[in-house]
Amino acid sequence: MIRPPDSPGTDQATTGAATAAEARTQQFEGAPAAATDVSGAAQPVFVEGLNYIGETPDGPLMELNMGPQHPSTHGVLRLVLRVEGEVVRYADPDIGYLHTGFEKDFERVTYHQGTPWTDRMDYLSPPGNNLGYALAVEKLLGETVPVRAQRIRVIMVELARIGSHLIWVGTHALDLGAQSTFLYAWRDRERVLEINELVSGVRMMTSFIRIGGLMADTPPGFEEAVRAFLRDFRARCDDYELLLTANPLWEDRTKGLGLITGEEALAWGFSGASLRGSGVSYDVRKDAPYSGYEDYDFDVPLGVNGDVYDRYLVRIHEMRQSLRIIEQALDRLEPGPITITNRKVVLPPRHELDTSMEAVIHHFKLVTEGFRPPAGEVYQAVESPRGELGFYVVSDASNKPYRIKVRAPSFQMVSAIPKLVVGHLVADVVAILGSLDFILGDVDR
Amino acid sequence: MSEEHPTEHARPTGSEAASEAAAVLHTVREILDERLPGAVVGLDGTLPEGAISLIAGRLVEAATLLRDDARLQFKIPLFVTAVDWLDREPRFDLVYQLRSLHLHATVRFKVGVEDNLQGLPSVPSLMSVWAGMNWLERETYDLCGIDFAGHPDQRRLLMPIDWEGHPLRKDYISFGEPVKFSDRGSFPPDAAVPRGAPS
Repeated sequence: MIRPPDSPGTDQATTGAATAAEARTQQFEGAPAAATDVSGAAQPVFVEGLNYIGETPDGPLMELNMGPQHPSTHGVLRLVLRVEGEVVRYADPDIGYLHTGFEKDFERVTYHQGTPWTDRMDYLSPPGNNLGYALAVEKLLGETVPVRAQRIRVIMVELARIGSHLIWVGTHALDLGAQSTFLYAWRDRERVLEINELVSGVRMMTSFIRIGGLMADTPPGFEEAVRAFLRDFRARCDDYELLLTANPLWEDRTKGLGLITGEEALAWGFSGASLRGSGVSYDVRKDAPYSGYEDYDFDVPLGVNGDVYDRYLVRIHEMRQSLRIIEQALDRLEPGPITITNRKVVLPPRHELDTSMEAVIHHFKLVTEGFRPPAGEVYQAVESPRGELGFYVVSDASNKPYRIKVRAPSFQMVSAIPKLVVGHLVADVVAILGSLDFILGDVDR
Repeated sequence: MSEEHPTEHARPTGSEAASEAAAVLHTVREILDERLPGAVVGLDGTLPEGAISLIAGRLVEAATLLRDDARLQFKIPLFVTAVDWLDREPRFDLVYQLRSLHLHATVRFKVGVEDNLQGLPSVPSLMSVWAGMNWLERETYDLCGIDFAGHPDQRRLLMPIDWEGHPLRKDYISFGEPVKFSDRGSFPPDAAVPRGAPS
């Protein structure tokens, strides 16, 4: 209730107690059929032209805005819901609040200058976005990065996947009232950010994976830090499962909710855990391996029912698989170069600038003009924490991309929200949104 | 794993990957030619991957075949976009990227779209084939200015509902556009007025 500025309740502390109690009674007597407006007069909840849409056989239909600042929309998603009592009858997601026009911006900068923008699309998995972009441009150039760079890329991307899934499990559980999971998840994700900071100096927007290799080699202590994280996190995965998987409250809130079959999910363009929760075995790392993923031994967890609970289980198990991949990559990590040797594409090492005129020229040309890949176009997909993230790059043989289109996994999932939430209770909308694990930066770009 | 030579792990790039992609392209083209003669214009030879060019008028038939043919099964619509080649005829390439879990491949399909000076150039909507085309086509309409005939809900998606122009077209001016404030009228694109100066 909004209290009017001249209401007795705000006047004097002496008269406040009685009138505030009166006001409270008035408020609750009226609810839910009436509310009070600023003038203090009782108003009907359903207002023609404001939120009253029409009558249905079971009662009036009311239009509600959920978001764009609603915490459970995980960003700035606005959902226009039409509800009949507590049941959602119509939903229209409204996006674009984070639209930054990255695809247009790419067209006016050189290829290397575009890398930091990729960090900011899916801001929970910056290394994954860096990797997709770098691989696409490398494909255009016909270059393959050295093995050490591939191993480190895999480690960083899988760590980012764990970090992203931790935020997801924390916020998803928080939305459904399980607050302790959130605090534990944040604690563990901090470890991932610390490793990011160790290798790149930046906690989130690392831009560590660059076209042609990596920003730098890993510093001393990297392997120990990652191994310590692996050792601790294996037990933590069990903790999360202990808190949620067999928790009857969690099961009640998530099982049989937000159902989508495998065929429907495919037609909606789903990918990642949201598709695998419906039992479709599709993972870019298996189907079209990149960065040496074909060499690692890992499983693709699958759901059965395609509900919120199965999507939850798939992601929890994915974190364990990521641990396996990181462990194998660490075991195989050997000294070696971390960038390609093509000096037309990557900057020369700093020490060469002191002694080599060619290095200075290459450095100058790369920084001022960038490189010119051959004309052509490529599509390169990677498995981001949310699904298939793809970069479609068109080159006209100039030093700037002619056109870049980002295939964002979250975009397709948000487009399917009406299909998933209609017919469910408003409280369950929150559970369904959380189970899709979309990031609005990824949706809007 | 010390016995492994670095290059053994390298994914096929260049000629090897290109030949894999070319083989899939030819398979898809043969099946399209066999079932729908005349729907394919030809192979678009853009390096390094290539694409299949389709005729706009037979897009729905071709898409249905791509989805339903047991040898193809392109069930995932990955993205739709348009590339604006400003001075070229036809001006736009409408690009559809589809993935087949059966072929373990992703293939790009293109439709040349002529500019339409009277309004937006139009192509048939594929929403009846893949549900996920809904937002993909809305986004392409919004940003590239392509009209999808038969789309039931073609509204702007990313840009504000009253936005003018289509930002991803090459003749769209990225900077110096009038800044609109709903309560203060519009700010004219005047080069003499520095950005952010009080109006």
